Amino acid sequence: MTETGFYILLCLREEAHGYSIVKKTEQLTNGEIKLSPGTLYGSLSKMEKDGLIRFVREEEKRKIYCITDLGIQVLELEMKRIERLYNSMMEAKNEEHKD
Amino acid sequence: MKNTKTEIRFFSVPQWKKEEDYLREQHKNGWEFVRVNGFCLYHFQKCEPKDVVYQLDYNPDSMSQKSEYIQLFADCGWEYLQNYVGYSYFRKAASEMDGTEEEIFCDDASRLDMMKRVFAGRMIPLLIIFFLVIIPQIIMQSQIGASLNRGLMVLFGIMFVLYLSMFVSFAIPFWKYYKSIHKG
Repeated sequence: MTETGFYILLCLREEAHGYSIVKKTEQLTNGEIKLSPGTLYGSLSKMEKDGLIRFVREEEKRKIYCITDLGIQVLELEMKRIERLYNSMMEAKNEEHKD
Repeated sequence: MKNTKTEIRFFSVPQWKKEEDYLREQHKNGWEFVRVNGFCLYHFQKCEPKDVVYQLDYNPDSMSQKSEYIQLFADCGWEYLQNYVGYSYFRKAASEMDGTEEEIFCDDASRLDMMKRVFAGRMIPLLIIFFLVIIPQIIMQSQIGASLNRGLMVLFGIMFVLYLSMFVSFAIPFWKYYKSIHKG
């Protein structure tokens, strides 16, 4: 999964439209990740096709999406993977300090 | 002094980066892009010189939901200009970006996806012409060998080189993005 895909799923645990995903991701990463509209549009269409998110309704030309059950499962798997990566990293770091 | 100008510029299918740079350069020199139409006719009007980033997207699927597509770009500060042979034109002033150079794509996966869409929509027809017209013609002409056909041979030879250079200039960035995503 791309970083963009991960943040989309993370944000869409609540209903949201494209630009609010951009804003939320910016907040979560202290402004380090600013999703671009071309990337976001492509990812949203692809993830909708794959059944990870679904279109809820439209408000003022903005499409509102929400995560699906399949999306939640995929997100949880990805979170576990990242947790494992993080734990391994911390373990390796601690060992370095011991030396 | 005229306030408008029109330039003829030909950009081949894989050269949208060059086109973006061309439009940005024009704006820096005080010529704001108005529209492109006809056969590669670029229309400009005089403006204050300004650094404005131009970007092209190729996404034929988006045209069925054009207003939502444009709205998302507008929310992110990108002004939609027009559609031309399947490409959507956007621009955003560099002064509106917070220090970093923004693009409409922020990762290599989506840059590669854009190239795949261009490949399906624009490159496949060129490949068909290349393999079903240009190459058979070159083989046929070389077998006939009459001097009358030399002109045709040269014509197809030039087309062969042009097409080949287009394929190569498409393949190089494609391969670069592909490798950056599929490394390790």
